[in-house]
Amino acid sequence: MRRKRQRTQSDVELNLAAMLDMAFQLLTFFILTFKPAPIEGQVLLRMPPPQPVTNIAGEKAGADPQNTNPVQGLSTLVVSALANADGSLKQMAVGETPIGGLTALERKLEDILRDPGSGFDQVIVQVDSRLHYGPLMQVIDVCTRQKLPSGEPLSKLSFVELPTAN
Amino acid sequence: MSSSLLHAASAQPNLTPILDMVFQLITFFMLVINFKTAAMDLDLKLPVVGSARPVDTQGQDDLLILNINSHGQLRVYGQLVSDVPHYIANEAQASLLVARRNNPQIKSGDELPSTVVIRADKGTPFTMLNHVIETCQTNGYRRFALKAMNKEETP
Repeated sequence: MRRKRQRTQSDVELNLAAMLDMAFQLLTFFILTFKPAPIEGQVLLRMPPPQPVTNIAGEKAGADPQNTNPVQGLSTLVVSALANADGSLKQMAVGETPIGGLTALERKLEDILRDPGSGFDQVIVQVDSRLHYGPLMQVIDVCTRQKLPSGEPLSKLSFVELPTAN
Repeated sequence: MSSSLLHAASAQPNLTPILDMVFQLITFFMLVINFKTAAMDLDLKLPVVGSARPVDTQGQDDLLILNINSHGQLRVYGQLVSDVPHYIANEAQASLLVARRNNPQIKSGDELPSTVVIRADKGTPFTMLNHVIETCQTNGYRRFALKAMNKEETP
């Protein structure tokens, strides 16, 4: 019995206090630097510089001298977004047609893009310079939810800044 | 007998369980820590858009994250960028060098394979946002990711 106790006492014991100190320091560092990232989403867009093009791949509008109709053959749909003085959305238009709200815009775009003969594959959004990013994203949201006649989602957008209307 | 009692009274606490627990906490924090949040300006109030999809980099790591506040000022890693065109041109040059590793044919002025991540405050006027977008387009960026929240943040 006595012999056994002597053997136990001679066992090497690790001093865990130092390791615990270090572990607590590491823990403190991680707690202090911890900042949970907000759950964000994103709208992926392919944005070439704004340039109306014809259905002929890559050809600039007006490049065909035989075409007397300046709109014919364009594959670019123009959506306009006007703003109030406080930066909120005032009115929209698709081409020359005024649109009251976002729901109407969605319906109009669906009607246009559903038509297999429409040929549109990109949208130019003419944006009032005062329009805030929030309402603009709502317009972009409506546009990017649309499907092209080919079935692909519309992701080719360009922006043109409209001068402030006084 | 009395010596044995004295020895028992000076017994040290068993630190092993607390050390286990602390290491588990450290492991948790190491796993959830995300250094990419340093590139984000968390003071910005992003717009809420229903169709905003969760971030998927699709294996692409070359991102240019631009934070634009409601005054149209560009912030990168918490620092205010005064000369925006110069900064974006420098970043485009760096992106070009990275892109050349995979595609040596790529030239200055070609479309860059990098994505510009725009985090703008919902009150940012378009004219200021457009200035940044146009500068990026001039420097060859074509892929953009506009950040938004999926749902309204609860305070």
